[in-house]
Amino acid sequence: MDRRQLLSLAGLGALSVAGGGLVAGCTSTPAAGPGTTSTSDLSKILPSYVPNTAVKPDIAGVIGANGAVSDPVFLSYPGSPVKTVSGVPGKGGSYTTMTPLWGAIPPSSGNAYYEAVNKELGATLKLQPADGNNYGTALPPIFAADKLPDWIMIPGWNTTNLNFGQAVSKFTDLTPYLAGDKIKAYPNLANIPGGAWQAGVWNGKLYGLPAYPGGAGIPGTYYFRRDMFDKLNINPDNIKSPNDLDALGKELTSSSAGQWAFDSMWDYLFQVFKFPMKWGLDAGGKIVHKYETEAIVEALNWHAKLVAKGYMHPDAIAGQSQNAKQRFWSGKVLICGDGPGAWNGDDAKSGTAANPAYRRQAFKLLSASGTPTVELNPGAGMFGYLNGKLKEDQVKECLSIANYLAAPYGSAEWLTVNFGTAGVTYNMENGNPVLTERGGKEVATTFQFLVTAPTPTTVGSGFTQVAKDFGAWQADMVKYAVKPLFFAMNITEPSQYSSIGQAVEDTITDVRFGRKPVSAFTDAVKTWRSQGGDALRTFYDDIRSKYGTGQ
Amino acid sequence: MQGKLSWRAKLRRDRSLLLMTLPALALLIVFSYVPMFGIVTAFQSYDIYSGFSASPFVGLAQFERLMTDPVFWHALENTLVLSAVQLALYFPVPIALALLLNSILSSKIRSFVQAVVYLPHFFSWVLVITIFQQMLGGAGPLNTALREHGWATWDIMTNPETFKYLVTGQAVWKEAGWGIIVFLAALAAIDQNLYEAAAADGAGKWRRLWHITLPGMRGVIVLLLVLRLGNSLTVGFEQMLIQRQAVGRDASEVLDTFTYFYGVVNNNFSYGAAAGLFKGVLSLILILIANKVAHLFGEDGLYRK
Amino acid sequence: MTTRPIWEEKPTIAGQTSKTAVITVVLAIIIVPIYSVVLTSFSTQTSVNIAGGLVLVPHGLTTAAYEQIFSNQLVMHSLLVSFGITIIGTAISMVVSVLCAYGLSRSRSFGHRFILMLLIVTMFFSGGLIPSFLVVAALGGYGSYWSLILPSAVSVFNILVLRAFFSSTAQELIDASKIDGAGDWRTLWAIVLPTSRPVLAVIALFYAVGYWNTFFNALLYLPDNEMWPLQMVIYTYTLQGNAMPGTGVTQTGQYFGHQAVAPLSIQMAVVTLTLIPILLVYPFVQRHFTKGILLGAIKG
Repeated sequence: MDRRQLLSLAGLGALSVAGGGLVAGCTSTPAAGPGTTSTSDLSKILPSYVPNTAVKPDIAGVIGANGAVSDPVFLSYPGSPVKTVSGVPGKGGSYTTMTPLWGAIPPSSGNAYYEAVNKELGATLKLQPADGNNYGTALPPIFAADKLPDWIMIPGWNTTNLNFGQAVSKFTDLTPYLAGDKIKAYPNLANIPGGAWQAGVWNGKLYGLPAYPGGAGIPGTYYFRRDMFDKLNINPDNIKSPNDLDALGKELTSSSAGQWAFDSMWDYLFQVFKFPMKWGLDAGGKIVHKYETEAIVEALNWHAKLVAKGYMHPDAIAGQSQNAKQRFWSGKVLICGDGPGAWNGDDAKSGTAANPAYRRQAFKLLSASGTPTVELNPGAGMFGYLNGKLKEDQVKECLSIANYLAAPYGSAEWLTVNFGTAGVTYNMENGNPVLTERGGKEVATTFQFLVTAPTPTTVGSGFTQVAKDFGAWQADMVKYAVKPLFFAMNITEPSQYSSIGQAVEDTITDVRFGRKPVSAFTDAVKTWRSQGGDALRTFYDDIRSKYGTGQ
Repeated sequence: MQGKLSWRAKLRRDRSLLLMTLPALALLIVFSYVPMFGIVTAFQSYDIYSGFSASPFVGLAQFERLMTDPVFWHALENTLVLSAVQLALYFPVPIALALLLNSILSSKIRSFVQAVVYLPHFFSWVLVITIFQQMLGGAGPLNTALREHGWATWDIMTNPETFKYLVTGQAVWKEAGWGIIVFLAALAAIDQNLYEAAAADGAGKWRRLWHITLPGMRGVIVLLLVLRLGNSLTVGFEQMLIQRQAVGRDASEVLDTFTYFYGVVNNNFSYGAAAGLFKGVLSLILILIANKVAHLFGEDGLYRK
Repeated sequence: MTTRPIWEEKPTIAGQTSKTAVITVVLAIIIVPIYSVVLTSFSTQTSVNIAGGLVLVPHGLTTAAYEQIFSNQLVMHSLLVSFGITIIGTAISMVVSVLCAYGLSRSRSFGHRFILMLLIVTMFFSGGLIPSFLVVAALGGYGSYWSLILPSAVSVFNILVLRAFFSSTAQELIDASKIDGAGDWRTLWAIVLPTSRPVLAVIALFYAVGYWNTFFNALLYLPDNEMWPLQMVIYTYTLQGNAMPGTGVTQTGQYFGHQAVAPLSIQMAVVTLTLIPILLVYPFVQRHFTKGILLGAIKG
């Protein structure tokens, strides 16, 4: 190390070039390991699961294939909510946080919701929600400038750019506080199933506090305007394949009336055309990347065809994904892809504000050929991390705050964390909490991203039918669940490959919107393979032999 | 000994002057010179968790990768194409505008027109692009009118094929007016007696323009060409960044955005630094060449020989 | 009215008409969009609906969009940030640049050629974005307001303009003040600055506009939206179309109450806000832009 320091102090490019040949060998093997943990080690690290049985759902969860469980459904908030935390969790500490937020960021000063939660916590969490769509862009500079807040949420999909196996060294190792039975000091955290903690384990240590854990997590699915389909006498159960969808395009599109059949349809096509989310196995058991499959080419062609035929909304083609929900609500678009979280009472409220008949519904799983399948997400995909600079008593204070924030649905604390103060930011209507006008402006998903209890399906904004519909759809969906290769395993790819996928992803965007021919994609993939795609395959072969595939 | 004494005397005499330059020098050293030495990261595999001192050196590996990266070459190609389009379509506009303005006799009208055409120079790119998007975008007055008449809409704001013209159009709107200042100054410096003499010799309008006006502006035109060529690797970074989403990476990736996205956003700092260094060196070479050419044509260029 | 020199031909009618037409078009291309943006910000929801976008012909005016904005924490705070950055930044830049330009304005003074070289080199070569970012980050600039000011506080071009102007200040005046026993500081303050008001105004405007328009540095260095200047707010909420906080649209996009203002009007009102200071200051400085000041400097 000394020699390197000397060189960098000298600051001379020429010197470093001369030295380059000698030191270059160091980089071919990454400085740290891939961050992965074997299954046998996991059992020693994962916290015990002590479920809270105080609250009973109206419709219990359904067990599906491959360990998938649909979320239980509550049709009203339990009367006289139980208290799950005694005393004040905080000790008056003050902590900075950072969380992503997909939507409008609420005002920070004079925010009754923030104040109410902080008061109950007996500590001050300074909330700093950042635009969720650009969150991945904001993170690397924060690490590079070493300006991490005390408590930060990092979604799993953002860890790939961060060389996370090494990044976790900046965070507090929670194993000494939470492993095994130690978690029983924090009963609400113990109510989170072991599988949810799995993707928060790095290098054999527990770092992450799960946010929004669930047993039926999938990236997303395809929705349609049930009200419009009914009006046009289209039976959604007959729509089973991409060709069926395509055939609807002409009937549903009328650009002069400002109505298009489709929004961008790309994000969840891997389920429909059956290519892996990332890595998968080919028929011969060889590890292949999704880029190398035939299916992705079919999907690209299919998507570009919708664009060419003029069935897709021009704003979607212009990449304005932020307004997609507005397009769907206002009926400018009748079919769209979205996460499962898009289908809830709040959505129904916004939709019915634009059109009283509004009704969102998801298609049953679509498939280009054979029985549909759907790749499961890990038990939790997003984790809160505590800054490694925190002292031991600060960590304990934060965990005790986490225990409050993770209070289960049905408890008194859950109401505070999610809705603030009764009469100020929410009111109980028909047995369910509903935001007031003030609450609508000030309440946002902020504390929940730091740590969350398992989330059931609930009635939002008074739309009971939506909760029932969603529960029924999910109970059907879990039957087709499969685990992707390397399920819930944290693997940090060598950093020199961190940007090779960017060019392919950008080309995919161009190809699916018809700006470039499919051959551009195959060319980009060729480059990707030579720039490190093939080397990555070898890397994953190695992972498979050392740590297994997470099945 | 004599020289040394006067050296000291000079230093003593000018010490306040030197002191005055210190704050500016300090800022430049910290924010311009230190980063110049910071390009050492381009020869490292910079790791944000280790910093400058502990990141391993990899010699020219980043540059080797750069040279085989089609995305980088594409960014370079885009940069040069955009520069060429701007040179052809943008560069003549201020000259023409200056000539037009100079021919306005009423000084009141002239200063009004000047005031208006200078104005957009002071708007930010965010503002200019917002205005373009609102005027020419899918929901703007232009396309609304086209749609009402049942005509095809003009998707200039999102069409990657015509993006280079859009970018040039925005540059013209924002900067062409401001660009006329130097030409006006050059025009004002031309001796009016030359015109009178030429007119007396029977030279018409166009002959006077060709033989007196344009030669009078030659020095300035060459100077600005040299600057433009030297800057050909810098084309509207903020413009590209802001409009990337609308037209896609392929049309909008230039060297500067490449550095930003591959370096900062994808946490590949060394790779981005290598691309930045490549651009810096090439720019320097370009400006030296352009200046040499100016000298060959007998003009001053950036500095005198 | 300047009169046409006698030697010049009488303008033809065709020539005159086409000249007028071209000038009118040029003016319209610049004025109409600005007019339309400002008008839209003052338009009622109905007016915006009729136009389907930017309003060209008014159908009812209202200041509702501005009422919304002035009660909007985020916008008001960003306005404050933009003003703060602009005022403090311009003050720092002017002090530093004027001192440096004067320090270099005496030909044959000690070391001035070398210092000038140091300055000019930075115009033609830079380390690039990444090293700059790492240096600012290492100095703790990430997440601090000074990252919007100090890295861009010195414009070598502006120093050269000032220097060219100071050099041309009558040497007799300076000599006279020297004889009176005034040092360099006093000469700068009492003799040079008062005679340089026009160029000072122009350079101050250049710096101020630079700070007012700062965008990329904010994108790069300020992750917290509560620290954003106005340009970032426009970028995020107008260009990218995200729902603006506190405009009655919640994170799930629900609308509360009756929307009396079109979102477009609110967006255009923010745009107008960034225009106003420029439009206010501009006429006073504009008349100094004229000849020579800038040209002389480039050839320094």
